[in-house]
Amino acid sequence: MPGSSQWREEQCEGRIDVRNTIWHCSSSDSRKDSSRDTRRLLSAVVVDDDESVRESLPDLLREFGFAAQAFSSAQDFLSSGCVDQTSCLILDVAMPGMSGLELQRELKRLGREIPIIFITGRKDETIRTQALKQGAAGFLLKPFSDAALLASIKTALQAS
Amino acid sequence: MTETRDDFTIKPSVPNASLESILCTEELQCRPSRPPDYKKENRALVTLMSALADSPNTIFQTLAQTIQDITQCDSAGLSLLTRDGKTPHVDGMRFYWPAICGMWNPHVGGGTPRNFGPCGDVLDRNRTLLFRHFERRYPYLLPVIPAAEECLLVPFYVAGKAVGTIWAIMHSDRRKFDAEDDRVMASLGKFASSAYQALVHIEDLKIEVAEREKAESEVRQLASGLETKIRRLVEANVVGIVMFTLDGAITDANDAFLQMLQYGRDDLASGRMRWADLTPAECRGRDDRAIAELKATGVFQPFEKEYLRNDGSRVPVLLGGTLFEASGNEGVAFILDLSEQKRAEKALRRSEAFLAEGQRLGQIGSYSWRVATGEITWSEQLYRIYGFEIGVPVTLELIRTRVHPDDVTLYEKMVEQVRTDRKDFEWQYRLIMPDHSIKYLQAVARAARDSDGQIEYIAAIQDVTARRLSEEARDKARSELAHVARMMSLGTLAASIAHEINQPLAGIVTNASTCQRMLAAAPPNIDGALDTSRRTIRDANRASEVIIRLRALFNRKDTVTELVDLNEATREVIALSLSALQRNEVIVRAELADDLPPVMGDRIQLQQVILNLLRNAADAMSTVDDGPKVLLVRTERDEGDQVSLSVKDSGIGFTPEVADKIFEWFYTTKTDGMGIGLTVSRSVIEAHHGRLWATQNDGPGATFSFAIPCGRQGSAESETRANQAAATGAA
Repeated sequence: MPGSSQWREEQCEGRIDVRNTIWHCSSSDSRKDSSRDTRRLLSAVVVDDDESVRESLPDLLREFGFAAQAFSSAQDFLSSGCVDQTSCLILDVAMPGMSGLELQRELKRLGREIPIIFITGRKDETIRTQALKQGAAGFLLKPFSDAALLASIKTALQAS
Repeated sequence: MTETRDDFTIKPSVPNASLESILCTEELQCRPSRPPDYKKENRALVTLMSALADSPNTIFQTLAQTIQDITQCDSAGLSLLTRDGKTPHVDGMRFYWPAICGMWNPHVGGGTPRNFGPCGDVLDRNRTLLFRHFERRYPYLLPVIPAAEECLLVPFYVAGKAVGTIWAIMHSDRRKFDAEDDRVMASLGKFASSAYQALVHIEDLKIEVAEREKAESEVRQLASGLETKIRRLVEANVVGIVMFTLDGAITDANDAFLQMLQYGRDDLASGRMRWADLTPAECRGRDDRAIAELKATGVFQPFEKEYLRNDGSRVPVLLGGTLFEASGNEGVAFILDLSEQKRAEKALRRSEAFLAEGQRLGQIGSYSWRVATGEITWSEQLYRIYGFEIGVPVTLELIRTRVHPDDVTLYEKMVEQVRTDRKDFEWQYRLIMPDHSIKYLQAVARAARDSDGQIEYIAAIQDVTARRLSEEARDKARSELAHVARMMSLGTLAASIAHEINQPLAGIVTNASTCQRMLAAAPPNIDGALDTSRRTIRDANRASEVIIRLRALFNRKDTVTELVDLNEATREVIALSLSALQRNEVIVRAELADDLPPVMGDRIQLQQVILNLLRNAADAMSTVDDGPKVLLVRTERDEGDQVSLSVKDSGIGFTPEVADKIFEWFYTTKTDGMGIGLTVSRSVIEAHHGRLWATQNDGPGATFSFAIPCGRQGSAESETRANQAAATGAA
């Protein structure tokens, strides 16, 4: 992959290979992808009520080579129109309004089998178990390393 | 003879004339005798008879007058031997003059000795004697005037025995006594004797009749009273009364008996009621013994039996009776209905059984203690509680042998105090049983006065061992639960803190990772790196703000600085902790100074320090099992206007190596301790301008003390530092 979005295997513990894959790009997430390859990238979406996460995590995902965008609530994400284009969802557990687990169930109900990686600042085994039981691809406790995040995404994409 | 009745006090003088020299009796026969005057004599006898009939009591006086009249003497009278001064008696020791007429009349009531006088001479010779100037032999008659020229004395007989004399005296020689005088006086004397005896008989008869009448009156009165009582007894129907014969018949009965056995008068009249038929078979043997006793002694001792009622039911009775005559066939029996008594006894036995069972179930024993006599009575359950054989005589010393050694001093003080105060008391103590198990007892005693007015304690003692162990188990569970709750609370708090911190941390880590990647790119994405580093700083500041917020949250504790009575604060803490301390078998002694000035500080914080020291002391003694666990709390005023409080225990103490570590954060010797109590306590005390320190005791254990200034000194600063200490302790 050309430019800054090229995947660097030496930094990736997850060994995910996205370089030869053609992806479409979300229409709402084109801030930093307008000058890139016309091939569409994998789209990763972050849903978290915490601003610092919404600001920092998409940047890291773009460094991984994803097309990334962020939403502050589950409702915003559902109403964004990009659900169908989302390849991987990085989802906060505890949010005002619809929680992460509720969004997971709603997507399932809508027939949208999007790989989901939950992130949370509060360690709670009950929620973790429930999330995994509902089909979550990963469950990360904040703060997490970029390697751990990448490994989870790889696992999620491979499974899907 | 003498002038007065006092003559018996005069000792007879030595006679200065012989008896023969004063006697001239034989001259009576030689002197010319006057002819008998029978008419006069008959009149005299009629007079005497009239006196006997009309006024018997004057018979002697009439006799004297008659003699004087017939003999024409100057004085005449009667002398009678007496023992009591009045009644004639042959063994009398003196002569009594019941009647005198003539010139010696004033001497009525006087008398002469039996063995030394003219009358005695007459009785000795049992014949008439004529004396001339007898005062020549009997000088006690010298003062008696007028003197006796001649005195004629004849014996006076009663029932054939000479018991006196009749005498006539001539005080001058105008006339001499002659044989006719002798005859007339003897004749009158015999008549008077007969009359006197008749009179005595009459008097005796009168007395006898009077006594008999009195006795008969008393018998009639007694009989009347007895009859009234018997009639009331029979009519009262309180007791059943029957007349019976030994062959088994009941001849009569009162209503009480008939009602008792549900029979009527007709049944009684028809003869259908026979006591043998009214008696159940198993009681007849006892009846037979009563009949045998009746025949032998006339009565039978009361005994209990049963009678059959008309409807076949039984009635318990107490029966007693007697025969009207010892060898007779008929008797009376008294029957007391014992139904109520038996019911009461049964109810009492049932009540006692309930009480005993209640005491057994409730593990409650009771006792009475008469302080004055030391008499102690225990219920059976109390014997069981103490593990003594039922019936063993109970003494205070015996009780003491069971009291737990750590409670013996308390027990002895309690006994002494109760003896002195004589008030109600309550206390808890422990027993150490032969198998070394411990029993916890709770006693409640009330002081009362017995029938003699002496103090008697009535007490109930409950074995609360099970409850106590249950409470301890509950407290332990509660403590564990509290610990779990605290840990859960801490876990929740930690989770909240973690969430608040982890959010910015996640941003920091992610931004830093992104920044690294941007800088490592070719070409480096400088703008992106700057942007992410800026966000990293922002998130770090955000994390810092979270910490500040948390600290502010824990700082939110109101502190009140006020004058604090350290003694009062200490007493409150001891009162709050006493139950727990006693549960751990800790004996608390408080020696609080009387003149302790108040200190300025936060009462709650200071009490927390004291509480912490007490708990540490109790914990330090938890493993002590070879001696009493004594905890001494002492307050005193130190020099330099400081007030100090020390808590001394007899626990495991501490070694010099750890002396410096005791007050360090998180240093603890307890398995479940957090190691913050003493550190926080020291902070609190230092915030109060004081100091907290620990010393090893000379014996076992350690003493933790603190001293703080008294009064209002540095109150404002104290408040500030106290706040800081509290915040530190809470965080």
